[in-house]
Amino acid sequence: MRQPAISRLDAKHRRLLEDCLRREAGSSVSIPGDDVDLIEAGILDSMGWVSFLRAVETACGAADLGSHLNERSASFAALLSALRDPPSIPAAPARSELLHDFAPYSNHVVIAASSSTFGSRVIPSEEVDRAFGMPVGKLRARAGIESLAYVGQGEDALTLGAKAAQEALRAAACGAQQLDWIVATSETHHDYPSLSAQLHSRLLLRENCGALDVGGACLGLLNALAVAQSLIGSGQAHTILVVTADVHSRTLTPGRVVGEFGGLFGDGASAFLLRGANDAGSKESYTLGEFIFGCAGQYAAAIQVSDEKDGGLAVQFDGEALSRAAITRMEKVIASVELRSGIPRGSVGGFATHQPNPRLVALLAKQCGVSPSTFPSVARFSGNLGSSTCGAALHEILRNASKVPRGERRTIFLASLGPGLLFGGGLLIPDEIRK
Amino acid sequence: MTKFLITEITRMGPAFCVIGLQREKEKIQSIRPVPAGGNSWLHFPHQRGDIVECALETFPAAKPHVEDRIATRGFQKSSSVAEAETVSYLRKAEIANSLPDLFGCRIHENKKGSGLHAAPQEAKRSICGCETQNLRMELYANELRATLALPSGEVLRDLPVVDRDWRDFIDAALAPARGANRTARLERFLNSQFHYKIMSCPHHFIRLGLTRPFRDLCWLMLDTLFPLPRPEWLEEF
Repeated sequence: MRQPAISRLDAKHRRLLEDCLRREAGSSVSIPGDDVDLIEAGILDSMGWVSFLRAVETACGAADLGSHLNERSASFAALLSALRDPPSIPAAPARSELLHDFAPYSNHVVIAASSSTFGSRVIPSEEVDRAFGMPVGKLRARAGIESLAYVGQGEDALTLGAKAAQEALRAAACGAQQLDWIVATSETHHDYPSLSAQLHSRLLLRENCGALDVGGACLGLLNALAVAQSLIGSGQAHTILVVTADVHSRTLTPGRVVGEFGGLFGDGASAFLLRGANDAGSKESYTLGEFIFGCAGQYAAAIQVSDEKDGGLAVQFDGEALSRAAITRMEKVIASVELRSGIPRGSVGGFATHQPNPRLVALLAKQCGVSPSTFPSVARFSGNLGSSTCGAALHEILRNASKVPRGERRTIFLASLGPGLLFGGGLLIPDEIRK
Repeated sequence: MTKFLITEITRMGPAFCVIGLQREKEKIQSIRPVPAGGNSWLHFPHQRGDIVECALETFPAAKPHVEDRIATRGFQKSSSVAEAETVSYLRKAEIANSLPDLFGCRIHENKKGSGLHAAPQEAKRSICGCETQNLRMELYANELRATLALPSGEVLRDLPVVDRDWRDFIDAALAPARGANRTARLERFLNSQFHYKIMSCPHHFIRLGLTRPFRDLCWLMLDTLFPLPRPEWLEEF
């Protein structure tokens, strides 16, 4: 039954190869036999060979075709074999084919590597108090913030994001050309080209690697992970890099916003390399579980930020109301994740949550009845990093988990919020538990 | 006799192209010694960083290879400089931050497939240095290719790597005597340690060149990548 389908596919690929070859070598070129080496036969030179392969990649949606042709001849036979071999080519079906063959979440998605980075300048919170004209010691006493990470000269969302991304790629020994998508999120980068496009160029990703920006502010990481999970689960991608990058110190500046708000934020980035479980290779990975999302509009007025005509920033920030809503809602999210997964919160290895400020993290731990030590100290030393808070916390938990013997690693819960009040949660399951 | 510093040795098929830096008053400029009967050398015993003397004759070279000089007598080595110092001189020679400034002309994308090219009559020179925001090298269907980002953020893809030392390093990495899975091991190196070694090097620098006109087009290539590969890196993968 399978043979005719393969033959049809081969015929389609052959037509495509012939068209691309004629474009490259000229319409008068005679199509060689399948085993003829196009370079040795002088039909294409090495420039033309690579150019021809890139054209084939674009035409059939194949990713990184060339790496599957190393140590093979420059022939139609080798190319057809690479195009036919499903594991070597990420699925990039035509839309009509996709509708017929759609198999959602047939593939588990794992985090193969992670990384986080912070602005290089560590500023004591007292200095920030002074800069915003607040009583010295206010940020430490009221919010529990000891220092803030601010970008230095030459650093911005792009450089932080690129640094985190490179480290994650390096940790997984994954070449930039292996990525099928980059999904970026930031609550501070509002320029064009967008952050994902800039990262795409900076990281030298394949031209046919997709670049997508996801919103949600502090919830951005969870949104981005859910998007990546869907893309991989539906078979449209094998490998995706999720990047967060937030630079608040250049937006929420003294004179533009009040210190009780602007003083809470620092600068940072994080990156996560996601793969289908079948492609992951590593036994140390964590699998993404189910996500939950929603929007509690009743709290929408607690925080609102918008641009003003004169270039200023209009901030509506009801700290008390937002704190109450944040604690209540995150506790609810954690309870929902707990219920859905059947994993009690007491057995969780770490909570990668949004951290509006360290005081609220301590309150959340108390409210949830879990140890505060299960929440990595991100905001205490770096400030609220927006979408990167959750990322930095998750990376820290994953880093610690990598030192724990296999079989003793525990589930990780995710929970975050964004203006709206958007909320979301999820979990990461150690590979050995899932199996 | 002209004294110059050898900065580039590129492998073009079976032969080598050589480029050097010559100081003329305060200006440092690139020159390309060529044999009287051709564009390249079948045998070239010198290394980058060597300072050599040679009798060179200027002639009306076809655009854009205006750096060509005919070598009428053999090269005599007088001394040599270290890699970092070579780069310090390259940084004072032809340099650009953006695509149109590289060769003083528009650069066109190959509409059929990959690669970038310039029109021979439009290009003002055939060699130029630049810093990079990022650089990646890959073995693509048995061909060594580089992708890089210029300081302007413009990305250049699929540039053929013709740097002799890097090509020799890749050949050595793929030598049968190195055992099994050589290609996979090399790919792993290029995807991990290579990037760190290159981008963290204080004298990381590249030079891009234009091929001789081929069907009225000059194609961009990566002529030189500093730092040069070290033999001991082969032990790492």
